[in-house]
Amino acid sequence: MKNLGAFPIVSFVSFVSFVSIQAQQPQPPEPQFDPAAVERGQQLLASQCGFCHGSTGRGAASGPDLTRSELVQNDDNGTQLGAFLAVGRPDRGMPPFDLSRAQVSDLATFLHRAIYFASNRRLYKILDILVGDKQAGEAYFNGAGRCGTCHSPAGNLRGVGAKYDPVTLQGRLLLPRGRPPNPGGPPPPPLYTEPTAMKVSVTTPSGETASGALVRLTDFEVTLYEASSGRMRSWLRNGDVPKVVVTDPLQAHVDQLTKWTDADMHNMTAYLASLK
Amino acid sequence: MIMGALFSRIRTFLPLALGPHPQRELTLTPRGGFACPPRGVAAGALPLALGPHRLHPNAAAALGAPAKRELTLTPRGGFACPPRAVAAGAFALAPGPFSLRSLCERRRREQAPMPRGGPRGMAAGAALLLIASGFTAAASDGLDPAALLKPLADSWPSYSGDYTGRRYSALTQINQSNVKNLTLVWAARLTGGPGAGGFGPGSPAAAARTVIGGEGSGDIAVAGATTVKGAVLMVNGMLYVTAPDNVWALDAHDGHELWHYFWKTKGGTHIGNRGAAIWGTYLYFVTPDDYFVSLDTKTGHERWHKEAAPFSQQYFMTSAPMTIGNHIIVGTGNDLDSPGYLMSFDPETGEQQWRFYTVPMNAGDPGLETWKSLDAARHGGGHPWLPGVYDPETHLYIFGTGNPTPAYTSKPRGEGMDNLFTCAIVALNVDTGKMEWYYQTSPHDTHDWDSAQTPVLVDGDFRGSGPRKMVLTASRNGYYFTLDRRTGEHLVTSKFSETVNWAKGLNAKGQPVREPAKDHHIAGALVSAANGGATNWPPPAYSPDTQLLYVPTSETYAMYYLSETDPRGAMGLGGKDEIGVGTMGSYISAIDYKTGNTVWRHRFRTVGTTRGAPGLLTTAGKLLFGGDVSGNFVAFDPANGNVLWHTQIGQVTNAPETYMVDGRQHVLIAAGDMLYTFALY
Repeated sequence: MKNLGAFPIVSFVSFVSFVSIQAQQPQPPEPQFDPAAVERGQQLLASQCGFCHGSTGRGAASGPDLTRSELVQNDDNGTQLGAFLAVGRPDRGMPPFDLSRAQVSDLATFLHRAIYFASNRRLYKILDILVGDKQAGEAYFNGAGRCGTCHSPAGNLRGVGAKYDPVTLQGRLLLPRGRPPNPGGPPPPPLYTEPTAMKVSVTTPSGETASGALVRLTDFEVTLYEASSGRMRSWLRNGDVPKVVVTDPLQAHVDQLTKWTDADMHNMTAYLASLK
Repeated sequence: MIMGALFSRIRTFLPLALGPHPQRELTLTPRGGFACPPRGVAAGALPLALGPHRLHPNAAAALGAPAKRELTLTPRGGFACPPRAVAAGAFALAPGPFSLRSLCERRRREQAPMPRGGPRGMAAGAALLLIASGFTAAASDGLDPAALLKPLADSWPSYSGDYTGRRYSALTQINQSNVKNLTLVWAARLTGGPGAGGFGPGSPAAAARTVIGGEGSGDIAVAGATTVKGAVLMVNGMLYVTAPDNVWALDAHDGHELWHYFWKTKGGTHIGNRGAAIWGTYLYFVTPDDYFVSLDTKTGHERWHKEAAPFSQQYFMTSAPMTIGNHIIVGTGNDLDSPGYLMSFDPETGEQQWRFYTVPMNAGDPGLETWKSLDAARHGGGHPWLPGVYDPETHLYIFGTGNPTPAYTSKPRGEGMDNLFTCAIVALNVDTGKMEWYYQTSPHDTHDWDSAQTPVLVDGDFRGSGPRKMVLTASRNGYYFTLDRRTGEHLVTSKFSETVNWAKGLNAKGQPVREPAKDHHIAGALVSAANGGATNWPPPAYSPDTQLLYVPTSETYAMYYLSETDPRGAMGLGGKDEIGVGTMGSYISAIDYKTGNTVWRHRFRTVGTTRGAPGLLTTAGKLLFGGDVSGNFVAFDPANGNVLWHTQIGQVTNAPETYMVDGRQHVLIAAGDMLYTFALY
């Protein structure tokens, strides 16, 4: 297949940086739910509705999930819900409920909050990911993973388990490109100033060769950063002129992406997390 | 805060908080670090100022004296042809090669009945009869729906240009031998919002041209909503462009704005709009707060708007409507648990003609046995995010459906159950809305990878069995399919992404079989592809010359973490957290529909971006156009992916289009809120 083998560059960037860019966009304020009303609504729901709809309203054997109810979703501060509850659904065995306007409002507040939390993926938190076997991870480190080629627990991985939270650590294990995310901190330095940046050498037809950290590469141009001079240098490209050779200090990590089993990865994460 | 106000804010807020998005989004990151100065024909001349500019130095010479053509607007804002109703004084044309007569003659040609015979003569004739019954006087003055049956050439009258979805233009004026001389005709920046308009900020004349509609209060301004992420229609010398809440009409000759329509929104996800549809002199589009709106193509004045989906249930609409005879067809979008559906509207009145739900809605509906319960099915998603294609011979409208919901925590849908008709290619009778066949490309999807990509209709040889009528699709899940489009019979499956690792293999029907361990995991599952998928909404293209399907392709990895352990699951896209690991590259993949094999791939060489490749266009000039992932607009050789021409314009955000203006072939492309057209002089 054409164009695949000729140019062994693999480009990477952390998606984390994308997420942080997203977060900078102006957004409307988050909705506020009165905690006292939520609490009252939850108790009311458990005592009045829980028998059929479950104590959280998410449904039970004899009643549907209220957070998925169109009537509840369309409700405006208990108005529609209150009208519905006053009548009930006798044909399906649901009696009318005699609730005050304030009680219905509390119930609605609880349900609307439940919908918001169940549907907003941003509000979920990653759980405890340290389920692996650290001994098996250590064995993989020294064996099949061949991690010792570049790393040692007493050397460049010293204290790594204390330096990063487990999720960040797992991400660094897979591909430690650039700096880890630092929400609220100063913007990270450019990727090309990091030791993990890809390297490039450019050889012109006259035989001059320049090398440095790869800044930009397209079919039509290449830009490198010379750390020694602090200079950016760019060349236009026309096919294979000038000659461009890219090397990636993280190539072993890149190659490993297609080899990991999830079990090996979980074990390695547990092992690295133990290196406090 | 009262609850009503509160929840309108939630609706506004929720979708904006969502990250990399299915089918409705092309992930964009600002270009980082150092950028080379733009070069190519337009170097240094790129129109960073507001408004359209004529840039090419030779353009004026080619047009003769005087250099700047003038086409005076009619009092209603559009331009019209006099032969039917000559309005003296309404036109003042400068001398020069451009003539009103040529424009109007071309229009008349486009209104002429379909030529009999030819490759699609029979089918076209049959369809014309169908269309004639619903055709009224309004259509005779604008886009005749019969023109949509023509092979793609002089205009671009629908989302894919024509009904096949091939994005293959018969135009050859620009071809392999001369594409290196392609040069900028004009560029124009679109300005959205209530006071927006043509030739500069704050211009009273410009503001006066903005027609304002909508049901919202007018106080919700959505940043970035003017990015063009869909088709631009070119009909009778006019361009019609959309972005969420905004429609613009531009003169195709020089890009100047003729009118602008702004919709005051109630909120909803403003992630993109895939374009408009035209029937006669009526234009149709949908809004993020779920209205189906019709405008007058000449003035931008609103004819009516109809509620197309319940906003309270978090529907948001992005798709481009499709004109087929006397039907205007459009699909829903929603990330929350809700049923997806396709609607057909009457072009004159906006009344609904039929509605097809993509999931079972009632006891006894087909496919219900593939869900845990009727309740699960009725909340099952399957939104038809993108326009489909149309086969006039069989009257089948063929389209793709979205992912099931809840997207990730799938147990409430029934463990391992197929969840029909989500993630499928579906064929409906266009007059009745009844399903004729389906083929599911992702049974029980668990990654929010919809199969809504616009399919492609191809007539050709299939493994020596003689001429065959097929439909092709490369799905977001990384698998490619060839089907028989009359029956839905499966012919070919292949994997066009080398990295996708979520499936164990194929079953007897040719469907990929999910590996549950690669859904997500509390401790993290390393999955390819990331949420954006192996391909996404940017449309593929097919060339009958090479018999290859060209597919924008991304190879990515992400960690998928299960974050909801309640067996009742989450709603919508909740319950899973995803952290991107990296991309192995973005490509154009050229796929042989007979074998599914990737014949060549062109890798977009880049550093520091996760962008997927934008959409594609092929032409009889033996050219393949598309944007790369570094801000270049590129012409390739469709036989091998070799680069033939390029220019740096900023990140391309839609698919290229081509059409004729005054006898000159133009190529149109959008980059953010900028439109660029290129031609030969």
